[in-house]
This record gives sequence, structure tokens and C-alpha cells, in this order.
Amino acid sequence: MEALYLLLPISLVFVLLIGAAFWWAIFSGQFDNTDEAARSILQDDDSTAPRPADEPKPQSQVSDPSGARKE
Amino acid sequence: MRAYSIFAVPESLSSADRLNRRRMLARLGLAWLIMMQVMMFAFPGYVRDDPMSDADRSFLDSAIIIMNWISLALTVPLIWYCAWPVWQGFIGQVRKLRVGMDVPVALGIVAAFVPSVWSTWTARGEVYFDSVTMFVAFLLTARYMELCARQAMGIGKTHEFIEQYRSVLSIRADRIAFWFTAIQLGLTAVVGLVWYSYAPAQAVGVMVAMLVISCPCAMAMAVPTAIAAAHASLLAQPDTDQSNLYRLVCATGQVSRQNLYGSMAWHVLMMPLAAVGWVQPWLAALTMLLSSLAVAGNSWRLFRRQAHAAQAVHSPRVVTG
Repeated sequence: MEALYLLLPISLVFVLLIGAAFWWAIFSGQFDNTDEAARSILQDDDSTAPRPADEPKPQSQVSDPSGARKE
Repeated sequence: MRAYSIFAVPESLSSADRLNRRRMLARLGLAWLIMMQVMMFAFPGYVRDDPMSDADRSFLDSAIIIMNWISLALTVPLIWYCAWPVWQGFIGQVRKLRVGMDVPVALGIVAAFVPSVWSTWTARGEVYFDSVTMFVAFLLTARYMELCARQAMGIGKTHEFIEQYRSVLSIRADRIAFWFTAIQLGLTAVVGLVWYSYAPAQAVGVMVAMLVISCPCAMAMAVPTAIAAAHASLLAQPDTDQSNLYRLVCATGQVSRQNLYGSMAWHVLMMPLAAVGWVQPWLAALTMLLSSLAVAGNSWRLFRRQAHAAQAVHSPRVVTG
């Protein structure tokens, strides 16, 4: 039963930690814009045509498997 | 209809409103967290008078002392930070010599908190920390819903006709709440004195319960939530013609009146029960939350009914299109 004298102060510390975490979450914007994550999947760029800046990349990727096949 | 979380801070608010909303959310959440803890720590106090061995009782008493000190340590930030709007409102209302909602609230908190601190310090007597924390947490819940309703009103374009109607309704509601609170404060003082002369030990509990009940939170919410519901349903169907608009305004007035007089009847019913000492302070706080939720629910019904009507009108077009 004497464990209670230790557990009670620990519970107080936990409450303070949880309160501080909740405080941080609100003021760092964790509760703002909750539907943005759901919407972002719809705003994804699904186009298959290679963009000019990406052109070198597919070529290098194609060369890799061919190299693997040789071995 | 969009599913909106009332805990999310809408993007469309101005930055001052957003900060206000965040602060109120922090106050609300912290108050509930503290309330849950303090309610648990209050439990041993309720079983202390049950039959048990002397060894058990002395152990329980030492545990109660620690728990009271922890409750005190948790209640101080709740009163300081979470109940900050109450103190602000109290000072403002006292300066203007007006009796508003914050006066009985502030008095109730002080009346319950100060004797509890004394009981904790002297290690004897009842503590009311659980009642204080419940009161503040429930009050903040009602205020937060009211803030959400008001801010939702600010976001949408307000309809001129409903706005006119709103000012008429709120003036009447304010006047009723003012007289109601003033009378109840006087009554509380008289009943408190009577109790103090006959049974001093219970006087604090009775006065706190009466002050908690005299807080017209549900009345303060009565008009804003209805009006917000009317705006929301107009936003849902912007092409409402004149006759429908008239019907909506009538329904709004009806719901507002229901809210106002319903919460008033509730107060009148609870007041004598508290005066004779049948209502514990925590029970008073709970009834306050329930009446506020009932008001919010009644307004929500108006919005639902309108939304259903709108769907019924629009559904054929959806099917063909």
C-alpha cells in the first residue's frame, strides 16, 4: 500500500506532461487544417507524361535493370 | 453537408479569431484533463466515513492529505489559466456595475475554492476541488460551443433579415438573463445566511450549488446557437425564396424561445432543490452541462430539419443529373 506515496506524485508528473504535450499540440497547429491530409491525396500529381526536368532520371532507371539482366 | 470537427480551427478565420479559438481549445482541454484527475483524487474523501479498522483509516487519512494537496496543485492552474475569461468578464462587469453571467460564476469558484484551500492547509474538513474543476470544465464546454457557433456565423455571409431578427432576440434574452441572475444572487445570499446560522458545515456546499445553478450559461447559448443554425441552413440552400425564409425565421424564433424558456424552467426547478441542500455542488455542475447540451441539441435539430428539407427539394435534380 505504501507504493501509493510514490504513485501519487508520479501521476501528478504525468498529468503535467500530458497537459504540456496538449498545449504544444494546439499552439504548434496540430489541430489546424485537419482535412488537409485527406485532401492532399486528391491534389497529387498523377500525370504520366515525363516533365522536362525529370527526363534524365527515367533513362538511368531503364539502364539499371538491363545491367542487372546481364549478370 | 460537410463533416466538420468542432475541435479543428477553421482556416477561414482571421488570425485574431484563430488565436482566440486555439486559446479556448487549450483552456477547454486542460480543464477536462485536470477535472478527470481531481475527480479521482476526490474519491477517498467520499468513503472516509465508511466502517473500517483504525489502521485503514489512518492510512486513508494520510492518502487523503496527499491527494488534497495534489488536487490543490492542479486546481490552481485551472483557476488561473482555464478560468481566465471568467475573471476578465467579472472585472469588466463589476466596473460597469452590471450583473452578467460571470459574476455568479466567479463568486461560485471563489466560494468553493477558498474553504477548500483552508481544509487542505488544516488537514480537516471537506474539499470542493472536484466541484470547482467540474464547474469550470463544463462552463468552458458551453462557452466553447458558443464560440464555435458565433465564429461559424462570422464565416458565412450573414443574412440581413436574420441579423435584424437576431438583435431583437438577443436584447430580450439579455434582459431576462440579467434580472434572473440578479434575483438568484440575492436569493443565494439569503439562503446562505440561513444555512450558516443553522448548519454552518453545509453552508458552503449549498451556496456553491446555488451559485453554480444561477449561472445562466444555457441562456447565454440560447440565442447564438439558434441563429447560427439558421445561418447554416441558409448557407446549405442559398436559393431560398421569401416564403421559405419567413418560415425559417419563425422556426428560429420558436427554437430560441424554446431554448430560453426551457433553460429558465430548468433553473427555477433546480433552485429550491439546491436551497434545501439536496443538490451537491458537483451535481449542480453536471445539470448545468446537461442544460447547455440540451440547448445546443435543440438548435442542431433546427439545422437538421432544414437540411433534410433542402435535400428533399434537391434530390430529384440530383437523380436526373
